[in-house]
Amino acid sequence: MGGQLGYPGCGPSQAGLSCQSPPSPETPPGLGEAPEQGGGLEALGLTRMDGILPYIECFAALVALYLLLGRGGRGAKALGILGGFAALAWIYVTAGNSIVGGEGVGREVLFLIFGAIAISAAVRMITHSRPVYSAINFVFVVLSSAGLFLLLEAEFMAFALVIVYAGAVLITYMFVLMLAQQASSPDKVTEVPEYDRVAREPAAAVTVGFIFLATIFGAIYQGIPSMPPPAGLIERNVARAEVLQGLPKHLRAAVEESAPTFQWPPELDGNKNMVHADDQGIYVVGTTDAGSHQTVRLPKSAGPRNTQFVGWDLVARFPASLEIAGVILLLAMFGAVILARRQIEHGEDELREAVGLTRIHDWDDDPSATEEGSSA
Amino acid sequence: MMLIASAFGQLALAHYLLLSGVLFVIGMVGFLSRRNLIVMFLCTELMFQAAAIAFVAVGRYYYDFSGQVFVIFILTVAAAEAALALALVVLLFRRKPTLNAEDWRDLSE
Repeated sequence: MGGQLGYPGCGPSQAGLSCQSPPSPETPPGLGEAPEQGGGLEALGLTRMDGILPYIECFAALVALYLLLGRGGRGAKALGILGGFAALAWIYVTAGNSIVGGEGVGREVLFLIFGAIAISAAVRMITHSRPVYSAINFVFVVLSSAGLFLLLEAEFMAFALVIVYAGAVLITYMFVLMLAQQASSPDKVTEVPEYDRVAREPAAAVTVGFIFLATIFGAIYQGIPSMPPPAGLIERNVARAEVLQGLPKHLRAAVEESAPTFQWPPELDGNKNMVHADDQGIYVVGTTDAGSHQTVRLPKSAGPRNTQFVGWDLVARFPASLEIAGVILLLAMFGAVILARRQIEHGEDELREAVGLTRIHDWDDDPSATEEGSSA
Repeated sequence: MMLIASAFGQLALAHYLLLSGVLFVIGMVGFLSRRNLIVMFLCTELMFQAAAIAFVAVGRYYYDFSGQVFVIFILTVAAAEAALALALVVLLFRRKPTLNAEDWRDLSE
């Protein structure tokens, strides 16, 4: 049951039934959790739905979103809020009835809570008339998706998300929002401009959204037969062994902890691998002083952690992506400096004029600069 | 290992994909219907978030961490985009003090 989903393996012959995962040999049952209950209907993936129900769900959700976006008065908005919660609850009932009430309820409940926070904050973000509150609501979306990343055991990504997104990017947005709002109307700060209060073409936007969401829901609820099965235990162990291979110090510490008499270095096999993997776990083979072989099976806690996995993938598997990310950041920095430079020169001139010096730049030469200077 | 194995115990990949799809569509509707330049950029960030959730969930499903590497890339692009787009918005705002996207129609001509 561990890690497998069910619906990708589902053929069209099982229409109307819940999707059952075929017993695959590469995923042995019982990875230290609840054994498979009869049929595992609830445990495996979603209940398959072939009918029109997922589309009606999407339709209801987007009608509620339309009411929230539209120009209607308080009544329409209240109706939209009620309808939105009803649609969310409906999606939860159809999608979530298979995830609540299992053996380990903790993760499922947390998933539902984080999902509810993320979706409602996202809706509030696009319907709020004040951009600053939109940004604050986006912080909630970011924090709850960091929570979802923790549920997915992507600890590094969760903290990077909080630091980079909630910490840096959102602060940039807040700064720009504050700058723009303050300059627009210093005397009537509380006035919300018309373009923030009234949505542009909400009906068309919601229609496009409905088509897109109905496509996604339809694909998910009917299963994706061409999707390959999830990684089995052997694939996981092989992936862990591959990363451990690249961390010799870590590996040596782990080996010496579990077998103090182990003769380092271990033997290399034909492919120069020190670490081997099978469905029982990962192990290292070495030679004792007497010349016989010695096998150390590493405990599960010795395996690489999420950060080590990500670091290994980033540096060893995809080094080019790291370089490209660096180049993108460098170019963004150049771009920001070039965009901002003209304003700084201009401000410098004003300062010089204010203290009675002559201007450095003669803006009359450049027509576009003149326009900018006069309006700023 | 037990923790890793039970990550999808009762939860399924499908649930994460559904959530990601809903968030993406909310961001898309917001991008199409809002007229404030900054809120439109915020909506693109929301779509980035949804894509990141899908990447991490699918990567977890296949026990392949390249999904998370891609999320690092998304973070980079989002940060660069925020810096450049907001610098442009500030430049535009100095020229004409409005954030209304429809007031900048002439830029597209």
